[in-house]
Amino acid sequence: MAVFDPATARSRRLRLALLGLVALAAVATAGAFAADPSESVPEPVRFDDAVELGLSSETDALMAGDATLPRVQVFYSQLQYVVGYNGIASFVDSRRDGRTERQFGYPLVAYVETFDHRDPGTTESGLFAAGGAGGWTPVGEARYVVDSDARTPAGPVVVPFASRDAAAAFADEHGGSVVGWAAVRSRSFDVDSAATVRALAPDRWRTANDRIAAAERRADRPASVVVGEDAPTIGAAVAAAPPNTTVRVPPGTYEETVTVNRSVTIAGAGSGTGPGATRVVGDGNGSVITVHARDVAVTGLRIAGTGNRARDPEAARASRESEGGTWDTNIQLGYGYGDAGIKAVGAPGLVVDDVAVDTEASGILLRDGSHATASGLLVEGTDEWQDGFMGVAGMKSRVTVTNSRFEGGRDGIYLHRADGSIVRNSTFVDNRYGTHLMYTGDALVADNAFRNELFAGVTVMTRPAGHAIVGNDVRNSSAGIQASGTRTYVGYNTRVGNELGFSTSARGSLYEHNVVVDNELGARATTVVPSSRVVANDFVGNGDHATAGAGALRVWADGDRGNYWDGASVGPHAPGSRAYRPTSPVDAALHRHVSAAAVRESPAARLLDALRGTVPGARSGSIIDPAPAAAPYHPERVDAVTGAGADADGPVRADWRAAGEPAGNATATAEGSA
Amino acid sequence: MNRRLGGVWVVFRRELATVRRTPGYAVLAVGLLVVLGGLVAVGGGGATGFVPAVVDLLLPTEVLVPLLAVVLGYRALFADAASGELGVIRTCPVSAAGYVVGVLLARTAALVVLVGGPFALVGAYVWLTAAPDTGIFATHSGVDSPVLFLRFLALVVPFGAAYLSLSAAVSTIATTRRSAFALGLLALLAGVLGGDLAVLRSLSAGASPSGIAGSLALSPNGAFRGLVFEHVIGVSFAPEGGFVDTGRAVASLVGWTVVGGVAAVAAIALGPRVDVAVEHLRARLDR
Repeated sequence: MAVFDPATARSRRLRLALLGLVALAAVATAGAFAADPSESVPEPVRFDDAVELGLSSETDALMAGDATLPRVQVFYSQLQYVVGYNGIASFVDSRRDGRTERQFGYPLVAYVETFDHRDPGTTESGLFAAGGAGGWTPVGEARYVVDSDARTPAGPVVVPFASRDAAAAFADEHGGSVVGWAAVRSRSFDVDSAATVRALAPDRWRTANDRIAAAERRADRPASVVVGEDAPTIGAAVAAAPPNTTVRVPPGTYEETVTVNRSVTIAGAGSGTGPGATRVVGDGNGSVITVHARDVAVTGLRIAGTGNRARDPEAARASRESEGGTWDTNIQLGYGYGDAGIKAVGAPGLVVDDVAVDTEASGILLRDGSHATASGLLVEGTDEWQDGFMGVAGMKSRVTVTNSRFEGGRDGIYLHRADGSIVRNSTFVDNRYGTHLMYTGDALVADNAFRNELFAGVTVMTRPAGHAIVGNDVRNSSAGIQASGTRTYVGYNTRVGNELGFSTSARGSLYEHNVVVDNELGARATTVVPSSRVVANDFVGNGDHATAGAGALRVWADGDRGNYWDGASVGPHAPGSRAYRPTSPVDAALHRHVSAAAVRESPAARLLDALRGTVPGARSGSIIDPAPAAAPYHPERVDAVTGAGADADGPVRADWRAAGEPAGNATATAEGSA
Repeated sequence: MNRRLGGVWVVFRRELATVRRTPGYAVLAVGLLVVLGGLVAVGGGGATGFVPAVVDLLLPTEVLVPLLAVVLGYRALFADAASGELGVIRTCPVSAAGYVVGVLLARTAALVVLVGGPFALVGAYVWLTAAPDTGIFATHSGVDSPVLFLRFLALVVPFGAAYLSLSAAVSTIATTRRSAFALGLLALLAGVLGGDLAVLRSLSAGASPSGIAGSLALSPNGAFRGLVFEHVIGVSFAPEGGFVDTGRAVASLVGWTVVGGVAAVAAIALGPRVDVAVEHLRARLDR
């Protein structure tokens, strides 16, 4: 064959082409090793486009635009999303234990918001403030003022500047010293975590006890006026009663609306339906009892005949057009101005005890600091949630609710900017949302039962911080508990037979000791960048135990302590020795089809098992539990809803106050994020 | 000099033609592509970038690339000897070294195409399809870059070449096709498992872990894995490396290739003389 002849022109051309190819490959290879992929540094992005971690950016002062939180955006080597930290302390703190680095890789570059030429200063309350958003400077190049008199809502603030002069000028005015990044990095910041919230939950329970005891003392006043004997109507009796006395309302039906302008107790004979009860029936317009004075108590009444106006559309529209209002005037006016059985405006210290409200709108409507305590409250709302409104609506009013029941209507309890509210030992049935928190932080929602909720048992919207949602029992609802926000503790809850047990929407949070049984979907991982811990939960008999939305791999465990997944131990391995992936199709079927165990042992499946899990930041939408538990953490609660007594509808109680003491449970140390 | 190169070139062309006429090799390449593609598709690593894809591919690569290299190499020199063609070639003006170099170069070129091709296709697939889960948030590629996959590819080729030349060398001492196959398999197992088992053994025997970076580099698999960690995967873990002694690992891969080549040359060149010596010995014993 001629092609073997080395002398032909064709052969020479071939030889040259081959040489060229080899040279090209050599150059490309050399180039690939010479180039440093970690050297190409991405430009800063709009902070709104980053995935936020750290402090809540929705405290009142920040929302109102008065105060400013210096922010950081970080590009991690393995994570495709840009992570935004509210507050420099959050970023520094996240690097302390190395957990972030293991999940997302090292920071390729971090930019900090700098405030040169932005009129940095403080508000009247000492919060750091600046005129407009700052520029972005790499953390290593910026200068920082520490120990100045400026603060954030969470504590001391580190104020960054691009130039040393601007930093020095700020330090001259507000004290403190100018340091470099190395000094800031090595500082330790007191950043609260969800574990702090867990430790606080029993305290909040005790706070509720104190509030209720104080309310009982407030309501217990000497009788002065008896309706029917000393005055013809309740309204007249209240007008005649001296402050700090009790107006007695004997059994019977009173058709009137009452306005209370002094601190008295209105005491009926009881809220029942029998002849011994006291009924107050309004005229179907406006609220039945309107309270304008502090420390008013309403007890032993059955209230009906409310108007059906849920809110004031006129006010809402006006606020949109005016410019003077605060950021949420619209909702405040809209939601705060409807009709109710009892409506309190600027009336702190309201006590409601043994009261039933049959309402077309709200049961109790609280506005403008009407901090209230309710126990033994029964609110029966409309059959269709669109027709009615809230069982208790607290607008800028902190509520303490215990031993109450909310049926029908829109939301059982709706709270808007009602920090520190406590809802416990209550029952919610057939509402839209059972308990619905907006812009409300540091609340306790504990030991409640939710049944047949149209949207969800407990929902926390917006991004508040520091909620404890503990010991609740949600069944037959669209969703069990959906809490967004940060630093939220969701523990010891039981969810049975819901479409969705819970979602891990809250960031930097702790989800533990929950029992999740027979839901269509047990849990859903939502936040794109994992920052929470999900550990020691029991997943039993759910259609799917858990699914994950877009984002990095979620590791649901805390060191060597995982969750219990029924089905995870099927197969020839020692229980708990094999990682469990609820998002893998094979693992997800283990508790439903035994045959899945055979597929799982195939070389292909085991090979994939061995491969996945590294570079977690660059893995998309999935969950792994590296150390699934061999047995449920709370078999007694699982048995209570699956065993012989499963038909009983009574709420399952978890002894979280004994178990949740800080020393008893050290889950907040090692690895694992959701 | 020119004449010697010309000899190598002729052997090279002849050997390439041999490979081209063996359809089994193309089937193997397709099989490799199916396995790699399947792993990237099912493993999920390729969905987000090159580094996770390489993580998914590393283990199968360590097994499949040596396998393919051994398949390409185990008959390379044996076949000519068995068919008697080697005797014919000896009459041509081609030295033993020229012959071995020509054959090995051709087989290596085939390796580049048959192994590099599937890997390159998988890389192209990742390049075209890898994207973040959601576009709601700002995204960036981290340290992930096609350059890293190119590095991986550039490491796969010398890794395969080492096995190719070793298996070719081993095959020269085989006398039957079956024994060539068995010897190739032995080289494969010794290479894929032996080196790392030796490292594990020395560790459990009390050797200092500080020597791992050096001892790991001695076997072709260890050297390859170390280099991939150092220059591909490790880039996304921490700015500083230290998984393996890079110089030693590269020297190891090149060294195994050269050792294989030299051993083959020696076997080809000295083989007839050994035969003669053996005949002499036998004749003397018979006497």
